[in-house]
Amino acid sequence: MGDLYLIRKNLFRKKTRAVLMMVAIFVAFLLFGVLGSFERAFNSGETGASATRLVVNNKINFTQPMPIAYLNRVRAVEGVRVASHWNWFGGYFQEPRNFVISFAVEPDTYLDVVGTDYAFVPEEKAAFLADRGSIAVGDAVAKKFGWQVGDRIPLTSNIFTNRSTGNRTWDFTIAAIFTPARDLVGTDVVFFHYEYFNETRSFGRDFIGSIVLETTDPALNDKVADAIDALFANSPFETKTVTEAAFNKAFAEQLGNITLIVTLVVGAAFVTILMIVGNTMVMAIRERTREIGVLKTLGFPNGRIFRMVLGESLLLSFIGGGLGLAAAYGACIFLAPLVGGFAPGLTLALPVVLAGVGFMVLLGFVTGVIPAMNALRLNIVTALGRD
Amino acid sequence: MSNAPLIRIFKASKRFTKGKETITIFENLNLSIPQGDFVAIMGPSGSGKTTLLNLCGGIDRPTSGEVHVAGARIDSLPEGALSKWRAANVGFIFQFYNLMPMLTAAKNVELPLLLTKLGGAERRKRVETALKLVNLADRLNHLPREMSGGQMQRVAIARAMVSDPTLLLCDEPTGDLDRTTADEILKTLQLLNRELGKTIVMVTHDPEAAKYARRTLHLDKGVFTERDVAAA
Amino acid sequence: MSLASQIVTVTAINLRSIPQRMWVSLSTVVAVALVVAVLLSFLAMANGFQQTLRGSGAPDVAILLRGGAGAEINSGVSRDQLRLIEEAPGVVRTAEGKPLVSGELYVIVDAVKKASGTQANIALRGLGPEGFAIRDGFRLVEGRMYEPGAAEIIVGRSLLDEFAGFELGKQVRLGTATWTVVGVFEMGGTVFESELWADVGAVQSLFRRTNFFQSIRARMENPEAVSALNDYSQADTRLKLAVKSEQAYFADQAGGAGGFIQNLGWPLAVIMSIGALAGALNTMYSSVAARTTEIATLRAIGFGGIPAFVGTLTESLLLSVVGGTVGALLAYAFFDGLTASTFGGSFTQVVFSFQLTPELVVQGVVLALVVGLIGGLFPAIRAARVPLVAAFGEK
Repeated sequence: MGDLYLIRKNLFRKKTRAVLMMVAIFVAFLLFGVLGSFERAFNSGETGASATRLVVNNKINFTQPMPIAYLNRVRAVEGVRVASHWNWFGGYFQEPRNFVISFAVEPDTYLDVVGTDYAFVPEEKAAFLADRGSIAVGDAVAKKFGWQVGDRIPLTSNIFTNRSTGNRTWDFTIAAIFTPARDLVGTDVVFFHYEYFNETRSFGRDFIGSIVLETTDPALNDKVADAIDALFANSPFETKTVTEAAFNKAFAEQLGNITLIVTLVVGAAFVTILMIVGNTMVMAIRERTREIGVLKTLGFPNGRIFRMVLGESLLLSFIGGGLGLAAAYGACIFLAPLVGGFAPGLTLALPVVLAGVGFMVLLGFVTGVIPAMNALRLNIVTALGRD
Repeated sequence: MSNAPLIRIFKASKRFTKGKETITIFENLNLSIPQGDFVAIMGPSGSGKTTLLNLCGGIDRPTSGEVHVAGARIDSLPEGALSKWRAANVGFIFQFYNLMPMLTAAKNVELPLLLTKLGGAERRKRVETALKLVNLADRLNHLPREMSGGQMQRVAIARAMVSDPTLLLCDEPTGDLDRTTADEILKTLQLLNRELGKTIVMVTHDPEAAKYARRTLHLDKGVFTERDVAAA
Repeated sequence: MSLASQIVTVTAINLRSIPQRMWVSLSTVVAVALVVAVLLSFLAMANGFQQTLRGSGAPDVAILLRGGAGAEINSGVSRDQLRLIEEAPGVVRTAEGKPLVSGELYVIVDAVKKASGTQANIALRGLGPEGFAIRDGFRLVEGRMYEPGAAEIIVGRSLLDEFAGFELGKQVRLGTATWTVVGVFEMGGTVFESELWADVGAVQSLFRRTNFFQSIRARMENPEAVSALNDYSQADTRLKLAVKSEQAYFADQAGGAGGFIQNLGWPLAVIMSIGALAGALNTMYSSVAARTTEIATLRAIGFGGIPAFVGTLTESLLLSVVGGTVGALLAYAFFDGLTASTFGGSFTQVVFSFQLTPELVVQGVVLALVVGLIGGLFPAIRAARVPLVAAFGEK
């Protein structure tokens, strides 16, 4: 028997009460774990972006096109290591509700630019580059529709019409299925050859959506961006060049201030448990006044009694919080495929866990410190006084 | 029985302020109890007998005066040192046993040993010895609520004895028990005094209980009214 | 004493003892209040968004898009198709015989959100000459109308409030041209108030989209004529445009994002309710524990178990209703009328206000009552079963 044994016995002497408090703490930490991870994944475009990656868009808005001739002019700018482009296709598979985030890209340069994001099987990558009618599919999409390498799949656009068939559908052969190469990368996306798409689409030919490039050094980012925008100033298609992080951040903020919403909800949950657990701990220790008096009589020093009471609220906080984070881990796995489109790579990540542990310590201290002080200050004679 | 006084209280006064009123429990009280004695302190409610016991055990301090117990002047010891002193020198037995309800008999007895550096095996051995001493070797794993009043009080005695203190302080130890059980408890205390030489101070209002002591002091309104042994 | 008066007596004693457990009772009130406030803020957000979209569409205005486009931004319509629709049956005509049909071009431009200072997509809509006659509720509240063919815009009231730089008289650079804000319009807080409006000819030429439209709007004689127009359009291979009533078009968009917010609010509130419920149970069990002697004494002098049950349940319901009311007031004070904007159906910002309606408040209070009911039920059963011996003050 040691102090931990006494703390445990004290905590669970009223099982219903202990369990109810744990449930309240569990709920708060479950919400924290899931929403905190969601917020992190949602903002991953900003935090997870490559330091040397820039995005060039039409200055009017990123949905407005630019001439493809711009690509080579961008490549000539000093400090640009490699440049490629992407084009929003607005695709879906069979039914409009089976929306697929799909881009027509220049394959070799594009895979160079995003090389650190996606992992390919080398043979599959080679096959994708070699066949202009092929498509590279993120494993999240492949899993959703049960696609395999070699499958022939139709993708329908809600924007473009295929001149060769007269309808809005293009057929592709799946050459590669890629996986995330690092944390916070979503694979809810497919890529195919711009050339194939450009030759067969009915309008917008030789225009591209965005240019994406890697600089040779992050310190050159601003200089390169200014140089590119100066290049096209006063032309019919002026550009705006920003870092990928800034672009993604602006895009995420268009949906709304998710961080604020998450903070408010998690804040509400934490205020709730602070009230519930704080009050209950004060009450629980008050009920034990006499026993604390006895411990002091036996010669237990004040500091040790203070630590035991604080230990009890910490233990409570850790059990409830630990179970909450464990459940959050499971919930993230369950939710990841449902929110992959806008919160890629949703998982209970280490930073969230660490913050959670920090909150457990904080909760334990805040809810334990008043009853612990009460116990510390308790006078033996009063405590033992006849009831 | 040696003649060196284990407890020496010198000119002790105890006053409380309650609102604007000052209540005096006793004033300039002197008391001396030699090592190996078994003293019963009797007196009506409010006579100050429990306060006196608290002074002897170092859980309360006099307003003025000196309290010397087991070679230390405990009225002026700082809080931390006093806790250590209590753990080493005094065992307490209360009217309502004051056992920890969530701990078994053995764990309750083991509590004071958490304040020592003894290892687990040694602690268990001592707990068993203490419980054997009070004839409860078969109740090791019972919780207080599974025991009778007499059994609980014997667990409390074992808890007071386990760290082998010189002094046992008992506050109405049989106040909550029937006659037969009370007699058993008192016999146990007598045994501890006679066989193991523990000095015992027992507060009681039961004359039958007081008979088990070597002598009885009567306290009334803070004054010893009769005494069979002259105090200092 | 009748059972009814027993219940009244015991409940009164019970409720009067709440202040003795003030802090722990307060924790239930706060827990329930926060759950209800979170629920209502999400519901008010979803409701505000949906009301804004739903209120935007008239049942007798047809919107025609290229098949499969789903939203104006994806669509494309030619001038020839516009002419064909002008000849279509069921279209309302003016006294001079002009069909109420407007070919519209929808361009996404950047604007700076006042709240966050970040760039966001907003819609610049070029309207045909009949665009205003088609739309009910349009009101120019400041300035004047744009001149046909001029680089002039009028700006919606919601957009003006939410985005920087569109005040009357300001010059705005959109694309390669500089436009002048000449007017401010209101349209009943609809989606259109989140848009910039200009003459379609001006937008076509300044954005180099000559003879290109993205949607056609037509005022129909009655709602039934909308589906007739669809049949007409599908039958003509030159058209093949998808025809919907504007009402149905916006209802579809409202279902998407609005439904998403709503689908977020309820699960969150239910999960948080479990925490609040744990708090309520805890509070009520401690209430019963504190009143054990009192309950047993009442039992001993002849009161039944039912009054103790009702008294406890009433206490719990009272605390949760107070919590629910506080939560609704919090939601009302902090969120009702709050404006926000998010992506609508066409990749552009839709400005909307949180709308807390009585129906939503009822939902919040019902949730509070459910927490109070379950949180009080089990402790109430325990109260009804307090043994008589407890009257004698067990230690």
